[in-house]
Amino acid sequence: MPPSSDQRLISTSLPSDTQLRVIFAVVVMLVVALAVTAPYAGRPTQGTEIFLPAYAAAVFVIEMTTAALLFATFRVQRSVPLLVLASGYLLSAVLAVPWALSFPGVFSVLAWDQNLQATAWIAAIRRIGFAVAVVGFALSDPRRTVRSPGRWVLACVGGLLAGAAAVLWFVVTATQSLPAFMADARSTAPAWAYVPPLALLLYAVGIAVLLTRRRSTLDIWMSVALLSLFVEILLISYMGAAVRLSIGWWSGRFFGLVAAGTILLVLLAETTGSYARLAQAAVNERRARRDRMTAMEALSASIAHEINQPLASMVTNANAGLRWLSRAEPQIGEAEAALKRIVDDGHRADKIVSGIRTMFLKGAQERVAVDLKCVINEALGRSASERALAAVEVETVYPPEIKMVICNPIQLLQVVSNLIDNAVDAMKAGGGRVRRLTISIEDGEPGEVEASFADTGPGVSPDIADRIFLPFVSTKPDGMGMGLMFCRSVIEAHGGRLWIAANAPTGAVFRFSLPASTVVEASNQVGVHP
Amino acid sequence: MSDDPVVYVIDDDPAIRVSLESLLASVGYAVRTFGSAEDFLAAEQADAPACLVLDVRLKGRSGLEFQRELARRGQSPPIVFVTGHGDVPMSVAAMKAGAVEFLTKPFRDQDLLDAVHEGIERHRRERDEASAMGQIQGRYETLSPRERQVAALVASGLMNKQVADRLGLSEVTVKVHRAQIMHKLQARTLADLIRITDRLGIALGQD
Repeated sequence: MPPSSDQRLISTSLPSDTQLRVIFAVVVMLVVALAVTAPYAGRPTQGTEIFLPAYAAAVFVIEMTTAALLFATFRVQRSVPLLVLASGYLLSAVLAVPWALSFPGVFSVLAWDQNLQATAWIAAIRRIGFAVAVVGFALSDPRRTVRSPGRWVLACVGGLLAGAAAVLWFVVTATQSLPAFMADARSTAPAWAYVPPLALLLYAVGIAVLLTRRRSTLDIWMSVALLSLFVEILLISYMGAAVRLSIGWWSGRFFGLVAAGTILLVLLAETTGSYARLAQAAVNERRARRDRMTAMEALSASIAHEINQPLASMVTNANAGLRWLSRAEPQIGEAEAALKRIVDDGHRADKIVSGIRTMFLKGAQERVAVDLKCVINEALGRSASERALAAVEVETVYPPEIKMVICNPIQLLQVVSNLIDNAVDAMKAGGGRVRRLTISIEDGEPGEVEASFADTGPGVSPDIADRIFLPFVSTKPDGMGMGLMFCRSVIEAHGGRLWIAANAPTGAVFRFSLPASTVVEASNQVGVHP
Repeated sequence: MSDDPVVYVIDDDPAIRVSLESLLASVGYAVRTFGSAEDFLAAEQADAPACLVLDVRLKGRSGLEFQRELARRGQSPPIVFVTGHGDVPMSVAAMKAGAVEFLTKPFRDQDLLDAVHEGIERHRRERDEASAMGQIQGRYETLSPRERQVAALVASGLMNKQVADRLGLSEVTVKVHRAQIMHKLQARTLADLIRITDRLGIALGQD
């Protein structure tokens, strides 16, 4: 089950019905194209070289844009497969330029088309390189992430450009000594016969892996892209009898282009849509937080008033008692009555305080065994948009076995949400370059489970660290100082502890322990759905 | 008409009410407590200098609103506000509307007693003023219409002769009227007479 927090990204979400319909339409179009062009595929055309620059330009723009989108997604998600796929697109886009420039009879002015083999070699490297990248995308583990995605993007782009330049240099200077791919400007030599099957094989592997895994919408779109390339090669190399500029050759390229364009449009629409949804969610989240804050303010004002009444009464009674005693004829009876009223006031104040306590811990008796991991994931899901805006990366370190704790799930969820919100706020305010929240679950004392929330924010200075759990103590400029007090009282009411430590090299770690459940249940039996 | 001051306490919290009553009684005030503004209005008010100790937050209405209502009715004793959660705008509004003091609970007892004392003194002065005014008014009522005409003209600074001319009387008659007026209004000098007519706000020389 993917974490609900990331379900909006194309690289992690499952396709919607509309997307499936578009995918189906593209596939049908490709098959129809294959069937319609098959009879005429082998016919050569005259003077169509003039369309080649336009085609190459379209391919370049489409593949470059797709690569940029994928690199951008990778920068957020940091997942290795995306980087591989983006590199494949970039390579393909970059090589489309020399391919067109060196195509025989297109840019004769440049006189780059003297080398008959160069174009074919570029085409072969481009096709095989892209196919390898897609297979790499399909086979690599999406959970593998990298630390600094920006540097990886730079390295990949730089490496690919350098690699492409090296390939060009090699192709232009050394092809004479390599096996010849072209017999003349239009027909291929026998050595070319190995290239299309290899590409087809790689595409087939890619499609098979992607369709069996079907992890995300992107997987399905990529299998459609591979299918279109598959059809393209079929048309170009087999039905078009491997003759350049034949009807099959052109139609293969045309339908491949349409398929690639469609996929790009879907990617763009998807990206814009998710951005809008994310922004909306962030607005909602902020509103919800503000409402929570207002409710807390109102609550604390009313608590203050409630406590103040008996307090004022006590002070007035004590003053009255003193005055009755200091009269010329001390009135013992009146003073005694005043003292009794002070006792009553004290009891009344106590009642108010314990009333507040039970109000905070309402339903605290309803304790169940809960999978701590589920509670944390639920809380992470709720703060997803806030974290995305603050560019905070979350790392979860969970033990392989399920850790059950005895608690009230709603209250525990509130505590975990509070701790996550605090960490995100601290890192946002700190403005540090690395914003990582590491949440781990581990064994604590015997019979206890511990959870820790380590951020890379500015940390909590020692002089405030021991007061931070007191009411109205806050390090936030607009903070009420109620959150951590609430967290600690909830955890302690559950028989656990909540404390703070320093994170290395910077930041704070909030850690709590809860009694472990001896009953091991299936984790999905207890959901957190307040 | 008594002169022993009374302190009214209006607070919806019984504990606060009792403690305030005890504190005020310990320094010798007669205290009457009420749980709501309505109870206070329904009760008969003693004819004595008084002060009202009022919680800003009353059941069903705000103390400030009640202050305005009392002001409309007139005859309100001065008000000392006490509040559990006073803010500056609220205290400014209360003081502008004539409150004696605005105290935040828990308050120093001396602050409250000082404020109550000041309120009572203020009420006493107001009552004295009002009763003096009432006396003068009563004396003026005893003047005959002709005497009122003469009094107005004399107070405006005319000589007896001029008054006589104005009213078509003999100077002797005016002198008799004038003596009557001075006697009835208990004015010993012309200055006294002018001061009295001034306070009564009589439109002099109009008729």
